[in-house]
Amino acid sequence: MHPFDRAFRLILPVGAVAVLVTVLAVGWFTEPDQLLKGYEPAQPIPFSHKLHAGTMKVPCLYCHVGATRSRIAGVPSVETCMNCHRVTKTDSPAIIQLTRIYESGRPLLWKRIHDLPDYVYFDHRPHVHAGIACQTCHGEVQTMDVVYQHMSMRMGNCLGCHRDPHAALPEHSPVKRGPENCYACHR
Amino acid sequence: MRAHLKRGMPRHWRSLEERTPTPELRAEGWNEFAPGAAEPMAPPADVLSRRRFLGLVGATAALAATAACSKVDRGFIVPYTKRPVEVVPGVANYYASTFQEGRRAYSVLVKTREGRPIHITGNDEHPAFKGKTSPRAMADIMRLYDPDRLRGPRIDGRAASWSEADRLLVEALRSAKATGKGVLLLTGAVLSPTRRTLIADMKSALPGLEHAAWEPAAGDAELSAARASFGGPAVVKTKVGQAKVILSLGADFLGGDDPESVGAFAAWRRPERPGEPMNRLWALEGAMTLTGAKADRRVPVKPSQAAPLAFALARALNELGVPLPAGVQASALAPGDFHGTPLSAEEWGALLSDLRAARGEALVVCGASMPPEAHVAAHLLNAMVGGTLAQARPAEPLASLRDLDGVVRRMASGGYETVIFWGVNPVYAFPDADRLAAAIERAPLKVWMGVIEDETSARCRIVLPEHHWLEAWGDYDDGDGVVSLQQPTVGPLYDTRQGEEVILGWLKGLGAVPSTDYHAYIQARWRKEVYPQGSPVSFERYFEAALHDGLVRTESGIPAALAFNGAAVEAARGPSSAASEQGFELLLAPGYAVYDGRYANIGWLQELPDPVTKNTWGNPLSLSVADAEALGLRDGDVVKIEAGKAAMEVPILVQPGQAEGVLVLALGYGRSAGSVATGIGVNAFQLRDAESSSPNLRAGVHLTKTGGRRDLPITQAHHRMEGRDIVRSYTLAEYAREAAKGRSEGDLVTLYDPQKFPEHKWGMVIDQSACVGCSGCVIACQSENNIAVVGAEQVVRGREMQWIRIDRYYEGDPRRPRTVHQPMLCQQCDDAPCENVCPVNATNHSPDGLNQMVYNRCVGTRYCGNNCPYKVRRFNFFEYTAFKKDPEALAYNPEVTVRPRGVMEKCTFCIQRIEDARMRARDENRPLRDGEIVTACQAACPADAIVFGDLKDPQSRVSLLSKSGRGYKVLAELGVRPAITYLANLTNPTAGEEQA
Repeated sequence: MHPFDRAFRLILPVGAVAVLVTVLAVGWFTEPDQLLKGYEPAQPIPFSHKLHAGTMKVPCLYCHVGATRSRIAGVPSVETCMNCHRVTKTDSPAIIQLTRIYESGRPLLWKRIHDLPDYVYFDHRPHVHAGIACQTCHGEVQTMDVVYQHMSMRMGNCLGCHRDPHAALPEHSPVKRGPENCYACHR
Repeated sequence: MRAHLKRGMPRHWRSLEERTPTPELRAEGWNEFAPGAAEPMAPPADVLSRRRFLGLVGATAALAATAACSKVDRGFIVPYTKRPVEVVPGVANYYASTFQEGRRAYSVLVKTREGRPIHITGNDEHPAFKGKTSPRAMADIMRLYDPDRLRGPRIDGRAASWSEADRLLVEALRSAKATGKGVLLLTGAVLSPTRRTLIADMKSALPGLEHAAWEPAAGDAELSAARASFGGPAVVKTKVGQAKVILSLGADFLGGDDPESVGAFAAWRRPERPGEPMNRLWALEGAMTLTGAKADRRVPVKPSQAAPLAFALARALNELGVPLPAGVQASALAPGDFHGTPLSAEEWGALLSDLRAARGEALVVCGASMPPEAHVAAHLLNAMVGGTLAQARPAEPLASLRDLDGVVRRMASGGYETVIFWGVNPVYAFPDADRLAAAIERAPLKVWMGVIEDETSARCRIVLPEHHWLEAWGDYDDGDGVVSLQQPTVGPLYDTRQGEEVILGWLKGLGAVPSTDYHAYIQARWRKEVYPQGSPVSFERYFEAALHDGLVRTESGIPAALAFNGAAVEAARGPSSAASEQGFELLLAPGYAVYDGRYANIGWLQELPDPVTKNTWGNPLSLSVADAEALGLRDGDVVKIEAGKAAMEVPILVQPGQAEGVLVLALGYGRSAGSVATGIGVNAFQLRDAESSSPNLRAGVHLTKTGGRRDLPITQAHHRMEGRDIVRSYTLAEYAREAAKGRSEGDLVTLYDPQKFPEHKWGMVIDQSACVGCSGCVIACQSENNIAVVGAEQVVRGREMQWIRIDRYYEGDPRRPRTVHQPMLCQQCDDAPCENVCPVNATNHSPDGLNQMVYNRCVGTRYCGNNCPYKVRRFNFFEYTAFKKDPEALAYNPEVTVRPRGVMEKCTFCIQRIEDARMRARDENRPLRDGEIVTACQAACPADAIVFGDLKDPQSRVSLLSKSGRGYKVLAELGVRPAITYLANLTNPTAGEEQA
């Protein structure tokens, strides 16, 4: 076989396929939704939303108090946990660890799951006041033992809902659309 | 004036080049861009080759692709362990506190986020300041976060512990007490009654203690004149708001550090309709000050001429039947009138008749740098025509420069065992630094206490870091019936202590006080002296309410006014201390931004353009137009200035309106400590005469040209008028004519579809008649919107970043110009020219009328900045924020993006404040109220010249004001339809001038 023949019959097609597969694979794995959705880090205290929000039916706003008062919903202070855990399950190893942190006054470092870029100024208040359920964006947290990111939370998600919010809103809501101008979120 | 228009010259002009006759200078002046504006920075020496760059890009891409295959760690969320009840993350808290500068105490509100102060405004509970404060008070937040701050005590240059420092000091003080040797405590002015009590306690525990309160920039003449005129140390409280006629003798009461006077003055300057009264401001001054710029009649007068002129005025008024105060003989007043002064007969007559007609409602104010005779003359005039508008009240004595000179002599002769410098920097501000340094060497123990190491701390053995005022307790009595409180708004950032607590520690060591808790010490004094005895409210509740409001009113605490002592006139008649036949008169005034040098390490203030010269980063020597012509000097020429034995080289700046034969130099520059302050400008304190009674004024000063040149970082000459009537100014008569005609400009025909504003249309009104140009808005905006400081080199190239600037226009003869100020910021045009040219739609229009700038979309083509007729867009040529050192970033407002390199930015009408107010209104299920949204510039404006609101609401304040007869849009002829309406400047000239 002439050396050129081998090049044309074998190396070129195989090479072309290899390049295509690489490009597609890199594209697939680096697709933003892939990177954002499903992020599920281990937390320093194995807190279960399934138990607290699902089984015990503790309302979201009991702990995430900021959602109605501030832009930021916030993670509860350790003291909030201690409201119950001073008397509840005090013998569980996780609660012993929690109590120790509380008494030492050291901060408790939770792993951040939902993170918007610094130039995005999302405000929880209008969304909560419009009656949009937390689950719309954060997923069925009450069923998650370990919380993961349910929605990629990119601008497309925001605008999709702002343009047609009916599915997310309660029935008979007076809200027709959300703002779509830049300054609504960016400043 | 007409002639200028005919020659194609602008009626208003911004800099001397615009009027200069030589063609090449003219061409340079008319070049739109400053030299270097279009050039990139010089490439670094180890420049990256193209090949290597491509190689690196390839490697980076490959690595990034690999790294991107795993989910990125997003860091931590750290909640409070125990959340303080008043803190909701994301919601700002405000605390009332007090800031002291020299003899002024500003009651302020400190905005904190998650426990860290981020913004300072005035306290609206304060009866005089009414929610306003000075630009320097607002900028002092940067000192809290200054990376140069001391982080722990130092002894002999090494880090030490507080206990070691305390032990050394208590031992030294014990031995001083036993041997009776002198101990010197040098501080700034003491306005705090509790601090005063503490120093008194210290004196009784240490009989050898000598306390001197010294303010380097005070000028001393005011104090000696007050002592002569009122029989003791006194300050004169003026009521600018009640004065029909104000005569300023070189005073700058409209400078931003007196928000009370600015507010009271501005209230007179905005008649709602023609015919309403307006005050009249006369200014006789050597320098060009903001007060002179705002004056209805301004005459350049040398400082040495002011006193004879004022005495002549008193004499002439007396001849017209105004009685002299008791104890003053008419014969004591030297004969003389306007002859030989720059005043014309018409001006003299008009001033006399104004003062006479406004008897009881006229006010004469004299500048701190003026000679003592001028102050006595002002007191005399006030006693004749001032009624109760100027009241002298007893005040705490201050040490003058002469007194300090005596202290230094005693120090040099070994008179002190221990010297303690507390919050003062005499090594920098004493005229003969070497003599002082040698004197300090003679003291066995030298102690310095302050926030940032300075020239004095470098000479001291024990260096004690003090809390910044935002970390400390305190109280202040302004002598006007208001006692204000200072409270910590943040925990101490470093191993520092409150100065008072350090002293309490020493006193405890001497066995004089039981505890070192200054908070308890303040409360103990308040319980005894401030708390009304027999009040039904408990003391704890009373003190808490005072902390909440930041102040209490104690009307009974106002001391009675002191009477004018006629004998002072006879004493002041001697030869003028400033008069000299030879050489220039040099006026030294505190730097507008850096004051006496204490703020020189704050980048915001270094870059704040001086409101008159528009110079940043340094102190050029101002020279009058006539003198510059005579000496053949122009802006940037370096001269050698000689005063007595002192000499230094300094660039000059030609200042229209400055009196002939007068030089002006700002104090507070030329520091040799502090990473920002070092090497900026020259130290003008060295030109002072330590033995003079008015050290801020020096006669017999000589100039020689050196032939050197320096680029001045001036922000003004980059923006051109191009002959258009951008700023309008009416006399009262013209205003009446214009108002009768009605607004003429209709909307221009446009090809664009009209913009629709479904809910709101944000707009602003700026009253140029009220604006005095103090630049408080510039600093407030810088603090609110995380605006970067770019440095002198960038300012020279026209790359300053401030979103709001104060344009200053001159009109008429450069020797005696009229001046107007115009705050210029993004006009939020309906048909914005910037929006059309953006290739990536990073700037576009919001449904409430804002011209949105989206940083994350901007690719930095700068087309928008190029197309903006107002030149208000600012570009990040470099990563200006990359040089921030810990903990500077804590001062950022978390509600505003920090812009990276390559991004355009501009005023957003404080969108974060708009959104916050909207969300609050929505939470409370109500519409937005008019006046609920206050932009940072509006909140800071002491003149209330800025009004923001909804133009769609016909009853809103901004709608009503925008229909005023004085209203106009800048560059309306372009048809861009700006959202800001300017109200024309108004002047109240005398009848003679109106005809001229």
